[in-house]
Amino acid sequence: MRWDERSGVNYIVLVKQVPNIKNIPPDAWDWEKGILKRNLLETVCNELDKQALAFAAALRSERDGMIVALTMGPPFATDVLAYALAICADRAVLLTDRKLGGADTPATAYPLAQAIRRIETEIFGGDRDYLVITGMQSVDGDTAQVPPQVAEELGIPHIAYATSFEFTDDGLQVARITRSGREVVAPTRYPALITVTKWTENPFATFARTRWASEQQMTVWSAEDVGADPTRIGLKGSRTGVHRIFSPKDAATKTCDFESDMSVLARKIKDLHDARVASLEAAAADGEEYRIPEGRMPSFSGEVWVFAEQEDGELHSAAFELLGRASALAKSLRSQVGAVVLGVDVAPMAADLIAHGADKVYVIEHEALAHFSPIPFTVAMAEVITMHQPQILMFAATPMGRELAPRVAYRTDSGLTADCTALDLIDLKRAGKEYTAVLRQTRPALGGNIMASILTQHSKVQMSTIRPGVLKALTPDESRVGEVVRHTPDLSQCDPGVRVLSYEPIQHTAELSEAGVIAAGGVGCRTRENYDAYIRPLARALGEYLGEPSMVGGSRAAVERGFIDRGHQIGQTGQTVKPRVYVAVAISGTVQHLTGMQNSDVIVAINKDAKAPIFNVADFGVVGNLEEAVPQLVEALEAGRSN
Amino acid sequence: MVNQVDVLFVGAGPASLAGAIRAKQLLNAAGRTESVVVIEKSEKVGEHILSGLVFEPEALDELIPEWRTRQDPFVTRALASAVEKDETLFLANRSLALRLPEFVMPGYMRNRRKLILSGSEMVCWLAAEAEALGVKVYPGFAATEVLYDGNRVKGVRLGERGLDRQGHRQVNYVPAEDIEASVTVFGEGSLGQLTEGLIRHNGLARGGNAQIYSVGVKEIMKLPEGNEFGSNHVVHTFGYPLPRLFGGGTLYSMDKNTVAVALVIGLDWKWADLNPYEELQRFKAHKHIHRLLEGGETIAYGAKTLPEGGYFSLPQPYTDGALIVGDAAGFTDVRKLKGWHNAMRSGMLAGQAVANAAMAGHFGAASLKVYDDLLQASPVIADLRKGRNYRQVFSKGGSVYVGAPLSLLQGLVPGKIGTQPDYRAMKRARLDHHPNGSSDRLSGVALSGTMHREEEPSHITISDPSRCVACGDVYGDRACIHFCPGEVYEFVDGEMVLSPSNCLHCQTCRAKCPEQAIRWLVPEGGEGPKYKTM
Repeated sequence: MRWDERSGVNYIVLVKQVPNIKNIPPDAWDWEKGILKRNLLETVCNELDKQALAFAAALRSERDGMIVALTMGPPFATDVLAYALAICADRAVLLTDRKLGGADTPATAYPLAQAIRRIETEIFGGDRDYLVITGMQSVDGDTAQVPPQVAEELGIPHIAYATSFEFTDDGLQVARITRSGREVVAPTRYPALITVTKWTENPFATFARTRWASEQQMTVWSAEDVGADPTRIGLKGSRTGVHRIFSPKDAATKTCDFESDMSVLARKIKDLHDARVASLEAAAADGEEYRIPEGRMPSFSGEVWVFAEQEDGELHSAAFELLGRASALAKSLRSQVGAVVLGVDVAPMAADLIAHGADKVYVIEHEALAHFSPIPFTVAMAEVITMHQPQILMFAATPMGRELAPRVAYRTDSGLTADCTALDLIDLKRAGKEYTAVLRQTRPALGGNIMASILTQHSKVQMSTIRPGVLKALTPDESRVGEVVRHTPDLSQCDPGVRVLSYEPIQHTAELSEAGVIAAGGVGCRTRENYDAYIRPLARALGEYLGEPSMVGGSRAAVERGFIDRGHQIGQTGQTVKPRVYVAVAISGTVQHLTGMQNSDVIVAINKDAKAPIFNVADFGVVGNLEEAVPQLVEALEAGRSN
Repeated sequence: MVNQVDVLFVGAGPASLAGAIRAKQLLNAAGRTESVVVIEKSEKVGEHILSGLVFEPEALDELIPEWRTRQDPFVTRALASAVEKDETLFLANRSLALRLPEFVMPGYMRNRRKLILSGSEMVCWLAAEAEALGVKVYPGFAATEVLYDGNRVKGVRLGERGLDRQGHRQVNYVPAEDIEASVTVFGEGSLGQLTEGLIRHNGLARGGNAQIYSVGVKEIMKLPEGNEFGSNHVVHTFGYPLPRLFGGGTLYSMDKNTVAVALVIGLDWKWADLNPYEELQRFKAHKHIHRLLEGGETIAYGAKTLPEGGYFSLPQPYTDGALIVGDAAGFTDVRKLKGWHNAMRSGMLAGQAVANAAMAGHFGAASLKVYDDLLQASPVIADLRKGRNYRQVFSKGGSVYVGAPLSLLQGLVPGKIGTQPDYRAMKRARLDHHPNGSSDRLSGVALSGTMHREEEPSHITISDPSRCVACGDVYGDRACIHFCPGEVYEFVDGEMVLSPSNCLHCQTCRAKCPEQAIRWLVPEGGEGPKYKTM
């Protein structure tokens, strides 16, 4: 029977107890040893998991059923389960075992999937009409890998980035965000997994339900209780390991360069902006000079691959960025660069990929690959990986890459590191073994509070996703020649499990966190008219001058006074941003505001009070009035651009 | 939605938790199963607790006689914290400090062998003890109303949540919930508004004097390894920076090279521009204090008021279906500058009265009067009676130079010296201690961890904005922009601009606004400061 014809359906919500990244005490880090003293951290329920609980509660209000909350963690993770019970869950299952500790994402996804299997048989009585709901990602790991890998282990479809749902005569329909628009999809078989993004207000627990929850017995399972294979869990089952953690903070303290000539200031901003961009690119490509030591063999073998993401016949620019880095890595490894492109009639894209550095283009065509769908894409990728065994495979950390890479990695037993900001090659000695030319994958973690470098282990392929815009593409060389390898995958047994019902492209509403340039105004703007008259033109002019997407922001006080909407609030109770250039106008610089912007690459402060604390974190300062300084700067930026 | 419980304690502070423990001990011993529930407005237990705290452990010894044998980090720390070095300093000016020999200090002001604790940590420990006995403690729930049946208290109402700024219901709206109990024990702490309402509603005021308060502002500072201040060390100061006021400074050594630095200031000051946060900074900058704190970094900040009216400000602490315990009743012993021992003892006596009432099946005033009888016979009332005019003498004396010596003689005053509410003391007067305004108060606020949902209706409102305009004319300044330890109030372009999300829940504003124009209501449960070691 189709589940939507039934009166009820069950739900499993995956929740995670995470450190409160907004409140990490400074003494929680031991930088020398590179460890985090977890006992000093306050733990909370992962924010997006609250959204998942709200999603499950909303689903249940339309299709009745049981909600089971499941978490894997230390014994005190019962706190997060108590919260889940207080919000909506009927049962709570804690998967806890010392043997599960130190796990990376596949070694987490596997035992969770085993627990889901046991919930299915024991709690749901074998009824497979259930949905697994979870937050898109956790704030501590921030990989978004576990949910797709749970789906891969269970062999079930997953729907990522869900924002709402509707029950129609045809069953459940889920709206989700894609790279360029909004899609409505329907699961065609069950169980299915849905990951949700921020879609509603966080739910509150009532006293009555909290009181009921505190009386409930939780089910506690060990690794053995869920029949987990001991070789696939914990440190032993992990395909990646942390090499080192370090602080992202620049050790050097800033000194503010006060400038009154706006043309000079415009040029200085540009110079520092360009220098920071160049140093970022240099950091991302740190392994340029790597040479394999004499007489040593690299620990991994095979080509260096790039997943060339395309949509509607158009390659994503990130594919070229990845090829740029792949070329350098392949040169150091004395290997070749491969680009893999999946779809229908995608062969014409090969020339462009070759011009950007590919030596081989693997053209994988099948009608089931016409539009992105995680299951057929995973099966096709796994097939071609097994055939050719590359040593490195890079995906762009786009919505598609973040959905696909975890499943591909899981299916091929490969390590995967998410959201890397730098990739290079190193040699190292560990536990008496020597490793040569292994890929060091560096990424921010814990909400950007630390950087971690990760190494792949126990796998043949080292996989990473890389944030778009971090790496630099090569100048295309149309004269390059390369080989095109065509392959038609066997997708006859492959049921995507999800049907796309509609798609509408939407104007991408810019996110503050994506802006390269932010101009923010404070309470010193005094009126909304002033804010509109000075801050908006400044953002536009600076963005155009530097060739960066620009946005406007505001301090809490500016938002409170109605100069701009809450969505633009920067600071402790607003958003945390890290643009290339941040201009604070008439913002005094309270700690609450600084928390939200002090990691920006270049900070410019304009304030009439020379003693304002904002100048302590600024690279450049202007002591002056809004009405005078800002129009002068805008004029200088516009003049600088036309020169 | 009505939730039924047997015994409800409002506020998880030392008084309520000691009371819940004692009640449950007695009920368990009698083989009874009445539910004992504690609700608390902070997100986690202990987060709204701020105290000195040099603790007289006798009450705890009575409550949990075997506590010293417990193997846990709190007990280990507590037992190692006994005061060995007890200093009292008179700060004559910004650089001179005179040490008073211990023998001249009255006994009630000596601290040797008392324990230097963190109030936040101690209530977490008490809550765990309570839960182990079967008490249920629910943090994150704020009571906004007392429920009555005539004059009988039948429970409390928890506030609705999920309203937007305009008061419209958001998608996550949760309506108000009622908790009904056979007996409700109010342990809300200083300036508890449910208690104030109850005292008014049932006519429980009895001492005749208005309650008066002090505000304490406190920082935890991390000192370098091997610092001069050391451990097991307490310092009390008087004089600078507050020569013309009741109050003083404290430095208490805490765990892991940290020191609790605090300044307590009687709220009956007259200066419109007195800023407690700035005064604390001035205290820290005193030559001698600065040397003791050399190389220190502030890692936490908070503020709280304490009731100081004492004996003549106490209400009748029982009524039909309800009791009042701890600071909510005003049991702080101002001579000792200590409230915890009395808070716990009053809670324990309330717990005893509640258990007796449960066994008798009567929760009327006649049955609960046992609590008052027990109190009158206890050291709580005996001590308060001894110091009955102490604080008033300070106020009348006008300065420590006159007030302190006179206070030693206050026991000879036969009758009662009156008090007036603190806000009435405000005059058109300036201190001009910080001509450039407060620089760093918001950094302090950040270290308090306070958090409020930006979109909820403001929990602080001005009843009549024209009074704020008038206030400046009458007093020369708007006092709230200075006295608020959280910098909630600003006066910009002729109007009050509030930042309720900065609020530390101390409610100094309610006690001190000279125009009494500030309305402070408890916000959504789970909000406010997040004190961990205060």
